[in-house]
Amino acid sequence: MSKWYIEKGEQGDIVLSTRIRFARNIDEYPFPSKLDIEGRRRVSRAVHDAVMGSSVGSDFSYIEMSSLSRSQAVSLAERHLISPEFACAGEGSALLITNDESVSIMLCEEDHIRIQVMKAGLALHEAYDTADKIDTMLDNSLHYAFDERIGYLTQCPTNLGTAMRASVMLHLPALTKTGRLSALAATISKLGLTIRGAYGEGSGSKGDIFQLSNQITLGITEQAALDNLNAITLQIVTQERAVAAELIKIPTEEDKIHRAFGILKNARLISNDEFMELASLVRMGAARGILDIPIEKINELIVTVQPATINAAQGKSLEPQVRDKIRAQSVREALNNV
Amino acid sequence: MLCQNCKRNEATTHIKRIINGDMAETHLCSSCASQLGYDDVFSGFGINFSDFFGGFLSDTVPSVTTLTTVKRCGKCGSSFHDIVKEGKIGCAECYRTFYDNLLPMLQRIHGRIQHNGKTSLKAGHIQQEESLEEKIERLKNEMNEAVSRQDFEQAAKLRDEIKALESEGGKK
Repeated sequence: MSKWYIEKGEQGDIVLSTRIRFARNIDEYPFPSKLDIEGRRRVSRAVHDAVMGSSVGSDFSYIEMSSLSRSQAVSLAERHLISPEFACAGEGSALLITNDESVSIMLCEEDHIRIQVMKAGLALHEAYDTADKIDTMLDNSLHYAFDERIGYLTQCPTNLGTAMRASVMLHLPALTKTGRLSALAATISKLGLTIRGAYGEGSGSKGDIFQLSNQITLGITEQAALDNLNAITLQIVTQERAVAAELIKIPTEEDKIHRAFGILKNARLISNDEFMELASLVRMGAARGILDIPIEKINELIVTVQPATINAAQGKSLEPQVRDKIRAQSVREALNNV
Repeated sequence: MLCQNCKRNEATTHIKRIINGDMAETHLCSSCASQLGYDDVFSGFGINFSDFFGGFLSDTVPSVTTLTTVKRCGKCGSSFHDIVKEGKIGCAECYRTFYDNLLPMLQRIHGRIQHNGKTSLKAGHIQQEESLEEKIERLKNEMNEAVSRQDFEQAAKLRDEIKALESEGGKK
């Protein structure tokens, strides 16, 4: 089954994916940081029963986080199926995930319930509709912590209100290289949005991939937040395309793209950082029609050659150089057979 | 730059932390970083954000904390001081218990304090207004607490409030 993070969706030359995340808590239990292992287990079990007993229950698998190896857990975070923090979650925390990996529900992360829906490309309203249905279904069987004045009650007060975080993953090589992104970031924060590295808080931006998301959750409706994010995403997409079109006219810049493609097709050892840097150039070349390769190939590689995902696929923790060799081989195979 | 821990190897891991508004930077070599738990791609993420947020909270309301340290949430036992220190709310009940204390911070974070979005189906059940009897009962408990910690000024204030409410109830 083709996963959402490989497919090319709306505005797919620049927008890799869309994510909607709802934070919810069950009224009768203290928030996760005040729960012991037994309490976390009870919460996870309660949500498990609510989901599995519903009409969509058969789509989900239930995974206890303590049953995963470190590589398996981090690999889930590399694919953005869980948050990086949740990869370290211990006993009592669990994950409900659909077979196509488009819906994941983290249990006892920062909040009791984190419903997350992912779609390829720009698809904010579609992703919202899916998340909304699951949320309403859970609301029917669980007693959510909610207050009419401040909305859904969350462990961190920054999420109060709708407790919805909507984000789009953007590939912005041209805006980054020309230094325009920092000016743009300042404007974006004035509009109630935030832009940061692909893995969220505290992460750098490998491969010129950024996450744009709504910041304010109290006092604004879900629809207004989505419309706002959608409009600004489209503006950034237009700007990135225009700047990229100018950039590739410069001979040295065009040359960099072809050289990057040459290295990726021939390297015998490649670190993740070098791969991400070159893949960004190649992806820009493919998006702008300089290189004749499907963009889905690069989307797929960006996910499958991440360190923990390689470890997880090999079933053991490998030395960095062994990984670099496997990575180089996967990249060569993918790019030479197109 | 040399590692601040062993002072021998070149520092390759740089950690920035913000504690109560002050930024602290630490520079470590890879082996010291690994010993101190900063050894892999994600370990830097999961930590310290509560410190950061706690700092934010205490920066916002330093004066309120000293006044309310003794009041505790009836459900999870958190005091307002705990919430400020950890940067995390303990449970849904904490929001009700400390609503007035939290309000200025919420205003600072969000700008607006009126939810305007999807409503939980059970909203009606949670929103039950405190009846007059319940309020009197709660104030009596608070008064007894005040007496037991010898805060007679607060106790007298509560006694007057209870009297006023009781006469209001009598009129009805």
